[in-house]
Amino acid sequence: MSNTHTSTSINWEIGPIFRAMLRNKVGAILIALQIAVTMTIIVNSVYIIVERSKEMQRDSGIDNENSFYLTSVGFTENFNTPVTVEEDLNALRALPGIVDAIQINAVPNSDSGWSMGLKTQPGVEHDGVGTAVYMVDEHGLNALDVEIIAGENFAQTDIGMRVVGQVKWPDKTILTKAMAENLFPDIPYGSVVGKTVYINDTEPMIVVGIIDKLQAPWVGWNNLENVMLSPERMDYKGSRYFIRTEPGQRDSVMKQVEELLANSNKGRLIQNMRSIEETRERSYRGHTAMIKILTTVMIILTIVTALGIVGLASFSVNQRKKQIGTRRALGASQSAIVRYFMLENFLISSIGVILGAALTIGLNIILVNTFGLDRIDWFYIPIGMLVLWIVGQGAVFGPARKAANIPPALATRTV
Amino acid sequence: MLKMTDVKKVFRTDLVETHALRDFNLHVGEGDFVAVTGPSGSGKTTFLNIAGLLETFNGGTYELDGQNVSNLNDKKRSQLRNEKIGFIFQSFNLIPDLNLFDNVDVPLRYRGFNSAERKKRIENSLEMVGLAQRMKHLPSQLSGGQQQRVAIARALAGEPRFLLADEPTGNLDTQMANSVLDLLKSINAAGTTIIMVTHDGHLAKQARRNIYVRDGKVSEINEVDIAMPTQLAAV
Repeated sequence: MSNTHTSTSINWEIGPIFRAMLRNKVGAILIALQIAVTMTIIVNSVYIIVERSKEMQRDSGIDNENSFYLTSVGFTENFNTPVTVEEDLNALRALPGIVDAIQINAVPNSDSGWSMGLKTQPGVEHDGVGTAVYMVDEHGLNALDVEIIAGENFAQTDIGMRVVGQVKWPDKTILTKAMAENLFPDIPYGSVVGKTVYINDTEPMIVVGIIDKLQAPWVGWNNLENVMLSPERMDYKGSRYFIRTEPGQRDSVMKQVEELLANSNKGRLIQNMRSIEETRERSYRGHTAMIKILTTVMIILTIVTALGIVGLASFSVNQRKKQIGTRRALGASQSAIVRYFMLENFLISSIGVILGAALTIGLNIILVNTFGLDRIDWFYIPIGMLVLWIVGQGAVFGPARKAANIPPALATRTV
Repeated sequence: MLKMTDVKKVFRTDLVETHALRDFNLHVGEGDFVAVTGPSGSGKTTFLNIAGLLETFNGGTYELDGQNVSNLNDKKRSQLRNEKIGFIFQSFNLIPDLNLFDNVDVPLRYRGFNSAERKKRIENSLEMVGLAQRMKHLPSQLSGGQQQRVAIARALAGEPRFLLADEPTGNLDTQMANSVLDLLKSINAAGTTIIMVTHDGHLAKQARRNIYVRDGKVSEINEVDIAMPTQLAAV
């Protein structure tokens, strides 16, 4: 026969395979649905995992590796907090290995803190912008390891002493760049220095400086970088100290600090000494658990889907042994038989992933509307389709090889 | 055309060694119509499998259309099967999920013909067996005789050098068997070499030559003097 009649050495059998599938729909439909559901869950899970991982990787603004904090709680009747805090901070700042130390009301990423609203105009009728509040002295920027990018730091003379029940606020504040831009979206953050903002609806505070980045205590808060610093120490029974150490000395310094403070004043307890790394790990525990659960679900679903494909393909091969032998007798090479089953699976997977793409978008819309997640990035869908195609092809390869080993002589056997 | 010289086939298990063919010698010429008969277990099917390149053999030589096929790999054997041999099976071996058109199309796709060429060949071969009007039907919608005709159309569509028929009327009633046999005779009359394995003596007598196989050897060859149809026609 002349070669002019031949189109290609590989003649794809898409049409006959598709028509044959339509006559035996049930198995193919079930596998396609399984692929679709798997893709829907996997793609949305991967998206959530990536988003959660990104959140966990966000820069807190502080020196996570070399910082820790503790609480000092006075229990004697005549416990003098301002004096004790002054003595403690002097002792801590003089301790080798410590970069700086401050008294602070709350710790970034610790899941517990203070929040207020700031306004650009006084009066209850104006909307405010929510912000986390950290009360620090002039060592605050150094201890927290944040950089002032506009304006200036607090002066020692700016620092007030907050007492229990006090409602009045200092007249100065330092804002994060994010907070400055939220309050004054129409001007560069550097121009916010010198502006007056209002706390408690009407109390004015002048913005004296802008810092690059500092996160609020609540890692799940949408405005995580809305932070203000207030120049204050606190005359409370319980004082929290935030300490930054030289790189690599945190753990040894923590022991020394505990000993130092415990011995320097017998009228208080030292509690809750914890590194920032541990604090962040605790705060993101929900994220970590979700990532592990979703990863497990994804792996199980993928395995179940792959096993489903292997099962269907193996069943199909066993059921069609005679047919495969006949195809071999009629001239199908072993590679043609492998190709047949791979192509059949590709068609089923294609239906599955197309349906899966629609379901993925549908589930994402539900997640966006119900849980306030961001819309999924478009490229997750083709990547998900590709992955499921590869899983399908990988799963069917074994049964396809088995089919290819069916001898052509089976065609003449009476089975 | 087909020349087997001292062909041996041994099936081995851990316990038993079975000599299916022993020094099997046979020469089939162009245009011949040979019936291979013999008792059960005599080696007829093994001969058919080896002749059709469905199975390998252990010794001797086998020349198909002038080519020694003793040491060909699977791909080459598949290609030769596809190009030179048409198979007709006792139980038809049509693919139940494919309609007649797609069934006849199966070997043509492996051949690599383009779609227009395949369509022409499928229509011609189904026309030849009188089933052109039913090409969209499924095998299950046909009688046994009609299914065997589809199988013959499938075997003929690739214009093979010879047909190998394994008990082609074994699953048919007398009327349908005669109809299929007449069709085979017509095909042979048109020049296609046919080798037919059967245990039916009456059927064997319709061939030009009868070969009797016993204990894995050709034990007897008889020339049969019969009137063959002179032209191919749908039966």
